[in-house]
Amino acid sequence: MNQEETEMISRCQQGDQEALREIYDRYQKKVYRIVYGVVRQREEALDLVQEVFIKLFRSIKNFKGRSHFYTYLYRMVMNTAIDHTRKTGKHFISSLDEEGSFQPSDEVEKGPERILLHKEAEEKLKWAMEKLPAEQKAALIFREVEGLSYQEMAGAMGCSIGTVMSRLHYGRKRMQELLKDYMGAHGQGGDTSSAPKAQKSPKADEER
Amino acid sequence: MQDLCSQVLKLLEKYFDQEATDKEKLLVEGHLQVCPACLDVLRSMEELRTLIKVPVEAAAREEDFPWVWQKIEREIRSQRKPTWLQSLRSRLDVSPLFKKKIWIPAVATLAVLLMITAQLIFKETPSYPGLSDVEYVESEDYNVMVYQSENQKVTVIWLFEGTEKGASPS
Repeated sequence: MNQEETEMISRCQQGDQEALREIYDRYQKKVYRIVYGVVRQREEALDLVQEVFIKLFRSIKNFKGRSHFYTYLYRMVMNTAIDHTRKTGKHFISSLDEEGSFQPSDEVEKGPERILLHKEAEEKLKWAMEKLPAEQKAALIFREVEGLSYQEMAGAMGCSIGTVMSRLHYGRKRMQELLKDYMGAHGQGGDTSSAPKAQKSPKADEER
Repeated sequence: MQDLCSQVLKLLEKYFDQEATDKEKLLVEGHLQVCPACLDVLRSMEELRTLIKVPVEAAAREEDFPWVWQKIEREIRSQRKPTWLQSLRSRLDVSPLFKKKIWIPAVATLAVLLMITAQLIFKETPSYPGLSDVEYVESEDYNVMVYQSENQKVTVIWLFEGTEKGASPS
């Protein structure tokens, strides 16, 4: 945490709304990306961004500066987003049936094929994300969307690096299983822990 | 080869997440050049990352964040606690009573209460015969009964002729 950020947080802790504005300017996109990654719905994501910063303004006094500020903030963001999905239950109205097959609406069917494909990809992804346990979903979003390191993720999730790696591994595996028909040639059914089926390549033969 | 594959696969996620050591990187990169199966596993991880990340990035680019800030600012302002002076003023302030038309039902309620109270206060107390004075005088020709109410406003005299059979009030 640099001096400028420390000062900004300190001012915000004293109730300075302008300091909150500076924090907002600095973190707005990151916060939005995380909440959008969880809820995958624009209006809900914007409401959650608002909720997070109001919550932050009220509770920033509890931040003692023992950890990085962003890990404190990211944890709050993820908890808020996941609590929201728990409260609203399975809110996602999908065009996918129980098996995850896409059932295009009339509106989409009439549109160009590109829109249909984009829509299908989004729907399929939302459907798969809904099936993940909250911790695995959080790990995937922190890593794949925000690009946090294992260390940073451990700080934000309040767990060990080993747990982070395990959550990431099982999250990816489950997603690949769920999206195997969609992911094309590279979908391996998600098994990244066991040896792949041997595929002969000239170089591999040479090695043997 | 299979042994090397399983060894590399254990490191592949670390490598993909840029958490592998230099030694591990060398091992993985060397293996990936000769093993399309392991390379496929890596590519499937890349594909999943793209699937998750790209729509989020696109959504974030389209957003109008200053508008969201205005909403936050408004919400914080409305939730702010008033100072002790402001809260005292608001407690002493009776203007809402005049602004809102509370006085109409208030006056009506007061009038009803007054009417009920007045009825209770001015209600006449009933007199009881037991509390009145009764005097009875006997003679050969007439029997007389004098009844006088307690407050002496009403006096009734009963005159009975002869026997009780022919008695009549006068």
